Amino acid sequence: MEKIDRLITRALSRRKFLVGAGAAGAAALTTGALVAGCGGSADTGMVSAPPGPVPAPFTDTDILNFALNLEYLEAEFYLRAATGTGLSDADAGTGAGAVTGGAQVTFPTAALQQYAVEIAQDELNHVRFLRQALGSAAVARPVIDLTNSFNAVAMAAGIGSSFNPFADANSFLVGAFVFEDVGVTAYHGAASLLSSKTYLTAAAGILAVEAYHAAEIRTLIYGMSVSTGVATYLNDANDISAVRASLGGGNETPISATTIVAADTTNAIAFDRTTDQVLHIVYASGAGKVNKGGFFPNGLNGNINTTTA
Amino acid sequence: MATLETQQLDAIVADRRRLLTLGGAALAGLAVTGAARAFAQSTVTDADILNFALNLEYLEAQYYTYASTGTSLTAAGGSTGSGTAGTVTIKPNPKVPFTDPTIASYAMEVATEERKHVAFLQSALGSAAVSMPNIDLLNSFNGLAVAAGVGPSFDPFAGDLNFLLGSFIFEDVGVTAYHGAAALLSSKTYLDAAAGIMAVEAYHAGLIRTVLYGMNAANPALGINGIASKIAAARASLDGTGNDDIGLGTETVSLNSSSSNYTAATIVDADSNSLAFARTTTQVLAIVYAGGSGMGGFFPSGLNGNIK
Repeated sequence: MEKIDRLITRALSRRKFLVGAGAAGAAALTTGALVAGCGGSADTGMVSAPPGPVPAPFTDTDILNFALNLEYLEAEFYLRAATGTGLSDADAGTGAGAVTGGAQVTFPTAALQQYAVEIAQDELNHVRFLRQALGSAAVARPVIDLTNSFNAVAMAAGIGSSFNPFADANSFLVGAFVFEDVGVTAYHGAASLLSSKTYLTAAAGILAVEAYHAAEIRTLIYGMSVSTGVATYLNDANDISAVRASLGGGNETPISATTIVAADTTNAIAFDRTTDQVLHIVYASGAGKVNKGGFFPNGLNGNINTTTA
Repeated sequence: MATLETQQLDAIVADRRRLLTLGGAALAGLAVTGAARAFAQSTVTDADILNFALNLEYLEAQYYTYASTGTSLTAAGGSTGSGTAGTVTIKPNPKVPFTDPTIASYAMEVATEERKHVAFLQSALGSAAVSMPNIDLLNSFNGLAVAAGVGPSFDPFAGDLNFLLGSFIFEDVGVTAYHGAAALLSSKTYLDAAAGIMAVEAYHAGLIRTVLYGMNAANPALGINGIASKIAAARASLDGTGNDDIGLGTETVSLNSSSSNYTAATIVDADSNSLAFARTTTQVLAIVYAGGSGMGGFFPSGLNGNIK
């Protein structure tokens, strides 16, 4: 009964968000949430069900909470790089997990500082937007690791036994590179899963912003290699791209003078990833059923937190 | 190039009053036609929307292909459609004399990707695909320069910086067009493809804006951010909102503190929630027609297809 109440609350909060959308659409969504919710256990949801031929019928709330976890991660990374501190308690939610690592980066130019501040504000805005859209259904920030995670990525990429993206501006750009293209593929993959047109438009708007960020970071990394004549950081980024491809089902374009954009080579359409593929990357763990690791030592909060394979 | 930019800066001051007048006229025109067009949009099919996008891709593909190679979309192996295609009005020898090989490479990449978008949409639409309409890459830029208050004329093929500013005109519009269209598409397959193309347009926009911002930081005297911001303001004015476009510059933000004491760049063109803007087809048409009714600007005979 408590579960039913929770689902109804969740559905109602969603209906409230859908002001302006058709009433029939809102009703259909409510029904969908109830049917999907009854199919899974209270905490693990549909994701923990045995893999079947049909993808798990995630609700819009599940998908937006999945995105919110990723935005918490990005916001913590950029806010710490720009200011030395992370999300306020109000933005992290009740019972938020702890964050390990992160420090203010010393930027050598005003422009680089301004880029970092802009992206930090964007990611913070995304956290706030999703939390408001989800209302009481919003999950709190999960436990986030910004130290061991990057070290593990560096080792997997073969660029060293440790990597501190907060050490200097160049390292910061490589650290940022770890996230942005993944954000694009995650939102792209999720877009057509969303039932609500309102959510779809919002998610597409966030998708576009992540792509702006991704291009910005890729352009700066490439430009830096040209202006300094040193390709170390460009090579590091491309080694990381290879790791993401290995963990996340391909879907990668290394950075070069003629490949600032990450997209499929046939149609020049940006890649997308399933939630499973995204989880494998942020958990820094390949094939198999995994539910935590990497940037999220205790896993994501919400119903989408475990890979099916 | 510095001379050109100095002239443009002088012209910004001289043409401010003219910009305001033109912006006001465009606004008035939209107020009359907006309601009827908005109603018509509810009946458009997926094919209508994809053809609308195809027109925009023809424009971008021709611009970048001419800029990077000096020749047309068809010369580069693309197709202008199976029916009677329009013509492209452009200056002789439009290949940009790039001085920076990195920017030349960027131009080549974007050209290649826009041609792939043309081919993809043609393939998706099959026999329903429209042919390329008449495209103007000469008078259009001159008209927009006047409307934006950046001078009496503008040649985007003159050099690296002008090419980037010309590109700046298109890319953010492409993002808003696909963003606005996404929720109108019935087919999930088309939606997924459109979202993927939108992301690529946003990559392009992010690329162009980052390079321009960097050039401005390296040489503030060129006033590049100011010019880009004039263009953004002109787009917002033409589409009738006046406030859905962010140029290049800085803004003061609070981040996780309670006071606004951090300076942010404005590489991303997005609203106060950091969601990219969306435009209706009517708003996009108002921009690419440069305020003209049913035609004008980059499309002197209008778009092909049902949305025009």
